[in-house]
Amino acid sequence: METRALAPVIVDPAAAAAIAGTIAARRRQGRLRIALGIGFPMALFLLWEVLARAGMIDQRFFPAPSRIAAIALETFGDARDRGQLSGDVLATLARLGLGYTVGALVGILAGILMGLYAPVRFALGPMVYATYPTPKLAIFPLLIVIFGIGDASKTALVALGVFFMTCMSTLSGVLYASPIYRDVAQAFRLPAWTRWTRVIIPSALPAIVTGLKLGLGQALILVVSAEFVSSQDGLGHYIWNAWQVLDIPRMFMGLVVVGVIGGVAVLLGDALERRLIPWANH
Amino acid sequence: MQAATIALALADVRKVFLTRRGQVVTALAGVSLDIARGEVVAVLGPSGCGKSTLLRGLAGLDDGFVGTIDWREAAGGKADRLQSATVFQSDSTLPWMTVDRNLHLGMAGLAIDRATRADRVARYLRLVGLADFRNAYPHELSGGMRQRVAIARALVTEPYLLLMDEPLAALDAQTRLVMQQELLGIWAATRSTVVYVTHDIAEAVALADRVVVMTARPGRIKSIHTVPFGRDRDVIDLRRAPAFRELEALLWKSVAEEVGSTLGGGSGSASGADDEWRGDVARSG
Repeated sequence: METRALAPVIVDPAAAAAIAGTIAARRRQGRLRIALGIGFPMALFLLWEVLARAGMIDQRFFPAPSRIAAIALETFGDARDRGQLSGDVLATLARLGLGYTVGALVGILAGILMGLYAPVRFALGPMVYATYPTPKLAIFPLLIVIFGIGDASKTALVALGVFFMTCMSTLSGVLYASPIYRDVAQAFRLPAWTRWTRVIIPSALPAIVTGLKLGLGQALILVVSAEFVSSQDGLGHYIWNAWQVLDIPRMFMGLVVVGVIGGVAVLLGDALERRLIPWANH
Repeated sequence: MQAATIALALADVRKVFLTRRGQVVTALAGVSLDIARGEVVAVLGPSGCGKSTLLRGLAGLDDGFVGTIDWREAAGGKADRLQSATVFQSDSTLPWMTVDRNLHLGMAGLAIDRATRADRVARYLRLVGLADFRNAYPHELSGGMRQRVAIARALVTEPYLLLMDEPLAALDAQTRLVMQQELLGIWAATRSTVVYVTHDIAEAVALADRVVVMTARPGRIKSIHTVPFGRDRDVIDLRRAPAFRELEALLWKSVAEEVGSTLGGGSGSASGADDEWRGDVARSG
């Protein structure tokens, strides 16, 4: 009968040496990963710094990283500057949060309904597939006409982008989920609610999470782009405004903040994935 | 078997498919069979003969069956047992649920209280030897253990009819033998009525009270053989019994004729395969 493997007990010295070698090799690999992951970007920064100080690149457009850092510290030290930046960050996050939530919920629901019910798929499919490849930013003027120049049009743009990502991904997740799960639901005559919550949605969950992760990147691109074009606040406006008044260090600061938001979003997405689909990596 | 109560009566059950190219394919061409309560019926036949189609029909998985399936023991609207529960050939455990939740899922539609559910889960997990793995996820278990989870999930519903579609086909030969013996023990404990689809002739003889041989497509019943062994058998000892080998050889010939009829008359390679089958029959007989 099967038993589960416990921690290996090694008695043979030759085997122990081989295992020790394997462990050492894994540790070396781990150290190399961390060293290169941090070291390579650092080397690029160093190159940038050296080139800037040597006057080989234009300091007005590419100020040395040390100067950007100094100005950043200055900004965070000044209450008014800090207040302006955090206000812009909050404005962007508000549009992101609301747009993302609405887009994801509608997208997941539409994807599941299209996957399960052929008439819904026949009705919505052609429309969704036809509008999917349109650059979402191209629809932005239309959204302004509909929702006005304020927050609503930008939030709607984010929602639209996230909708397509989650809807398409969820749809394929439902359509291509192993048919055995539906057979189980049918053979055990599961009540509708149980069928939905315990079988249909979980079986599509890996695809849904993939859609949610893709949607994060899409949402960030769209919100910043919309703020470039038409906004009085938000990170996009912060960056664009800095560029227009040629406050290049401030522009770089905005870029760093956008990068940090993107990085945190990716980490959250990965955490969500591990939490929701712990079985997926097996 | 004569005095036994009929649990299920099939009368002229047929199934016709329409392929995407518009061809009409008869998968089942009229199957009539009475199954007694507590009886284990193995359905044997060449691949494509419709034996899985028949089982899916009994499981309520496909529509479009013609004929009557007369459930003499019917589960009512608010029942504490399912009409039928199915164990599938491939892994059908749900990977997002623990073993415990997989088993509870099967009972979701039954009108029984929480304590009864927990009680059944504990009882049948013990029966399949997985009492210690209640909170494990399927991916933490071996293939054989997952199949036992699927079997336990069917058993907790205490079905009037237990349907098994080649449940051991995906397992290695050693595990399969061990599981065959376990199935005999489980059925003895639960007194289940079982329809067991398989293409493994020795397995059919080792497990069943009666073996139904089906013809090549369109599938109908070719012959029915009573297995001359009681329920308290040992699958290893059984294989040495002359009566076992005699019945096995008889069934081999019967099935091989059907396999031959699907391969024969075709290209040279097909008839070559046909000869190979017959060679196998000669060796095992």
